[in-house]
Amino acid sequence: MITFSNVNKWYGDYRALTDINAEVKKGEVVVVCGPSGSGKSTLIRTVNRLEEIKSGQLLFDGHDIQAPMSSYQLNQLRSRIGFVFQSFNLFPHLSVLENIMLSPMKVRGIRRADAKTRAMELLERVGLSAKASAYPAQLSGGQQQRVAIARALAMEPPAMLFDEPTSALDPEMVGEVLAVMRGLAKDGMTMMCVTHEMNFAREVADRVWFMDAGCILETAAPETFFRSPQHPRAQRFLSDLRSH
Amino acid sequence: MPFILDLYTILHDNWLLLLIGSYPNGPLGGIVCTLILSVVGIGLAFPLSVLMAMARLSPWRLLRWPATALVYVVRGVPLLMVILWVYFLVPVLIGRNVSGFTTMLCTLVIYEGAYLSEVVRAGIQALPRGQMEAARALGHSHLGAMWSVILPQALYNMLPSMLSQFVSTIKETTLGYVINVQELTFAANQINNQLLTKPFHVFFILAVSYFVVCWSLTQLTQWLERRIASKRRGIAPKPSTKARAASVTLESPT
Repeated sequence: MITFSNVNKWYGDYRALTDINAEVKKGEVVVVCGPSGSGKSTLIRTVNRLEEIKSGQLLFDGHDIQAPMSSYQLNQLRSRIGFVFQSFNLFPHLSVLENIMLSPMKVRGIRRADAKTRAMELLERVGLSAKASAYPAQLSGGQQQRVAIARALAMEPPAMLFDEPTSALDPEMVGEVLAVMRGLAKDGMTMMCVTHEMNFAREVADRVWFMDAGCILETAAPETFFRSPQHPRAQRFLSDLRSH
Repeated sequence: MPFILDLYTILHDNWLLLLIGSYPNGPLGGIVCTLILSVVGIGLAFPLSVLMAMARLSPWRLLRWPATALVYVVRGVPLLMVILWVYFLVPVLIGRNVSGFTTMLCTLVIYEGAYLSEVVRAGIQALPRGQMEAARALGHSHLGAMWSVILPQALYNMLPSMLSQFVSTIKETTLGYVINVQELTFAANQINNQLLTKPFHVFFILAVSYFVVCWSLTQLTQWLERRIASKRRGIAPKPSTKARAASVTLESPT
C-alpha cells in the first residue's frame, strides 16, 4: 500500500532521511518509533508530500507520489491519504460537523445532505455524536483528535497516517484516542503511526519500524522487537523507555 | 455661555450644509459625502487588499513583486502626494476630466488597499501553519484552502484592525478638501467663509463631528476585540445560536 524505495531527504546540508526502504502492506498496522529527531515525522510527512524528498521512489496504493503531476492530481491523491496531526489542526471557525463535511463537499463535490449523513455516521464511530454542533474550542484535546480522525476518514482513504496523534494530549485523554485507533485497526484499516505509545505498538501493530538519525535500523513484529531487539540502538532505546 | 449660544446658532443655520452639502442644488457633500467616500473607499479597497495580500504571499515572483512594490511605494509616500498625482495625472492618462470625488475615491482605494493588504497579510501569517497543512492534506488546493479555511479565520481575527483602518480613512477624507471634494471639512470652510468672524466656533463643530464618528467606531472596535478574544477562548457562543450554545455548555466536560 505504501512503499518507500531508496528514499532520501535533505534539509540543506542535513540529511533527514537516508536510504529508506520499507513497505506498509494493505491492512497492516505499522508503528514507527525511535528517539526525538530520528526522522519519524519527516518520514510520514513525505507520504502525502507535505515534505518533498530528494531522491528515491514512494508508492501509495500503486500511485507514484513523486511523479510529475498537475496540482489537481496531487490534491486528489492527497485527499485519499488520511493524515492525523499531533496538534489536531481542526478548523476553529467551523463546527465539528462542518469540519468533517468541508472536504468531501469542496474536494469531492459530494452533496451537502450526503456529506452530513456520512459525517454523522463517523461522529457516531468516534463516539462524539453529541458534539456535532460544538466548536473545536469547546472540546477537550482527546475529543478534538477524535474529530480530526473522523475528518480524515470522511475522505474514505485506503490508508491512514498518524503523526504522534497522542503526544499533545493530557495523559487521561490518550486512551480515548487510542481506542478509536484500535477500532480502525480491527476493521482492517491500513495504518502507519508515529507514536511513543509502546503499549499500543505491542497490542495493535503488525510491524514496528525503529528509526534513528534518519535511517530505519530495524523492522520486526512487535513481540520480537520488544523481547529481543537486534540493533544496539534499539536495545538502548527500549531500556531507556523501561527505566522510567 | 455666548459661545454655546453661537454654536447653537451656527448649527441651526447650517446643519443641512454640514450634513449633505449643497445637495440637491450641488453635489452631495458634508458628513454624508465623508461617510460615502470612506465606506465606498474601504469597500472597494477591501477585496483589492485581499488579492494583494495573497499576491504578497504568493510563491510566484510575477505576482509577489508588483504587489510588494506598490505596498512599499504607498507606505513611503504621503497621502496628499498620491492625491495630487491622481488629480493631475489621471486626466492626462484618460484624456478627460475626472471629478474631485472620483479622484479622491480612487486615491483612497489604492492607498487604503495597500495598507489593508498588510493587515490581511499579517492576519494570514498569524494563523498556525497547521491550518494550511491540514487543508492541503485533505486535498484542498492552495486557493481552495485560502478561501474555505485561511481567509475566514484571518479576516475575522483582523476585523478590529480593519475597523481602525476605516477610522483612519474617515480622517483621511479631509484631504479631499485640497482638490475641492465637498466633504465635511469643505462644508465647514464654506460656513467659515460666510461668517468670517467665527472660525473657532466653526472648526470646533467640525472637530466634534469627526470625533463623535471616529470615537464611536473606536468603541465598536474595542467591543469587537473583546468579543473575539472571548470567542477564541471558546467561551462566547456563535451569534444567533444561544440555545444551542447553552446545551453545549451543559454537556461540555472541563
